[in-house]
Amino acid sequence: MNWQALDVSIIGPALLAGLLVIATHVPLGRAVLNRGIIFIDLAIAQIAGLGVIAANVFGWETDGWQIQVAAVSAAMLGAVMLHWTEKRFEKIQEALIGVVFVLAATLGLLLLANNPHGGEQLKDLLVGQILWVSYSQLWPIAILYAVVLLAWFTLDISKRHRLLFYLLFAITVTASVQLIGVYLVFASLIIPALATRNIRQNWRLLSAYVVGIVGYASGLVASALWDLPSGAMIVWCLAIVGLTTATFCGVNKLEISHS
Amino acid sequence: MSKINYIPFLSLLVLLSFSMATHAEVKVFACEPEWAALASELGGEQVSVFSATTGLQDPHQIQARPSLIAQLRSADLLACTGAELETGWLPLLLQRAANQKVQAGKPGHFMATEFVRLLGMPKKIDRSQGEVHAAGNPHIQTSPANILLVAKAMVARLQIIDPDHSVFYTARLSNFTERWQAAMTKWKALTRELRDMPIAVQHNSWVYLEDWLKLNNLATLEDKPGIPPSSGHLSQVLEKMQNQPAKMLLLASYQSDKAAQWFAQKTNIPVVTLPFTVGGSEQATDLFSLYDTTFTLMLEAYKP
Repeated sequence: MNWQALDVSIIGPALLAGLLVIATHVPLGRAVLNRGIIFIDLAIAQIAGLGVIAANVFGWETDGWQIQVAAVSAAMLGAVMLHWTEKRFEKIQEALIGVVFVLAATLGLLLLANNPHGGEQLKDLLVGQILWVSYSQLWPIAILYAVVLLAWFTLDISKRHRLLFYLLFAITVTASVQLIGVYLVFASLIIPALATRNIRQNWRLLSAYVVGIVGYASGLVASALWDLPSGAMIVWCLAIVGLTTATFCGVNKLEISHS
Repeated sequence: MSKINYIPFLSLLVLLSFSMATHAEVKVFACEPEWAALASELGGEQVSVFSATTGLQDPHQIQARPSLIAQLRSADLLACTGAELETGWLPLLLQRAANQKVQAGKPGHFMATEFVRLLGMPKKIDRSQGEVHAAGNPHIQTSPANILLVAKAMVARLQIIDPDHSVFYTARLSNFTERWQAAMTKWKALTRELRDMPIAVQHNSWVYLEDWLKLNNLATLEDKPGIPPSSGHLSQVLEKMQNQPAKMLLLASYQSDKAAQWFAQKTNIPVVTLPFTVGGSEQATDLFSLYDTTFTLMLEAYKP
């Protein structure tokens, strides 16, 4: 075991990044799970990456904030499109999202074949690493997520404003994917929501937050102690905490009685 | 009641503290195993070395682990390749470690490519050329001559960081230089028949080896790492091989051999998987055995 790495200044920024992501992704994840569109985050992230590549191909020298503009614009366009397909083809929305994901990823490869400079930027967009996060990076995210959360809970978005749901989702995920990578974004969205879906309504959101926080904290500590890649370790700890919660909160009993 | 004799304990304590004081080692954080190996050769017992990557990892990209930050935070010397090889992770790691001693411009910030003549410099940089390294090809450890140049520069840095052992490092360097030059003479003689040999490569990882052995690189399978080659490019390569067959295809052991095996089946040209760095194969345990194995593998595959 490696006690030296168990240092607040090493895992502190990562933990804070995790808490910010959990704050927004837990409520979003519950909506995503209810609608059965769990792969939407992968599709949106891939479309955001495609936006950056496309901006390069059309000769726009992307750098710093321009990359963000390209990524967010593309993600929001994707969101508008997915909102339309949900209205038009509600039953096959999940399958369409899968197709959109594959198309966006492969269109990226086709565009890159003649213009590979976007390759590194695409990689940066999709594989953020939570341990490299610094406090100064977290300020803009914190402000953005505060706005997202305010809109989410005051406007009752998950039920009333479908288009706004897709747009908020696009903005949130474009930011989080760059910060912590696709695997962690997916796990943060789905695992807390999945683990707590049979808990009583009043307690559900709170317990989902607890699953997320305990998962991130234990994952970071484990990754420090055994010196393993932090992102992957957190995903596994989230899953273990989620499974434990689900087991002790009577998922099985309810599941059986429902069917 | 017997009286405890404190003298042995005290003398042991004094001895321990003395030995600890003299063992204030220089902590070296190496980005790649070849520089870790070189630092151990040159620093001996005066340095303790940590390598961020192993011989079977792609040094372009690594997963973030907490120990990387902890190790760099306490390092006295950062020894890396430079020339954009580590741009994907080293700037972030330096920022997170916030160790003044190893930031750019400080003596503790050692980039090996600054001390050798870089090859593969693009004549003009434009977007059509793909993922070219604007700074030149960074894989300098594939030539034994470069190792010696880097060794001299590294010792100069160690002497700035740890001036108390300046004489020690000079002696280590001259000892290493002597052994290395003898080895280079041996390798030159051993590889004489490989001169002007036509080869193909998986990726442009071997320009310095080609330069040192005077090999003739005919074709590169994957121009752009991460982007699969187009069918047009592959058919061009095959056509070239029909007109002028290569003797072997060189592949680094950390790279996937899919494209290379496809190539070998189409052309019957043998694929030679080389260690690429220390730890890249079981035999390549230090810098000397790295080149011993590399040249042995090439000679075994070579048919005149």
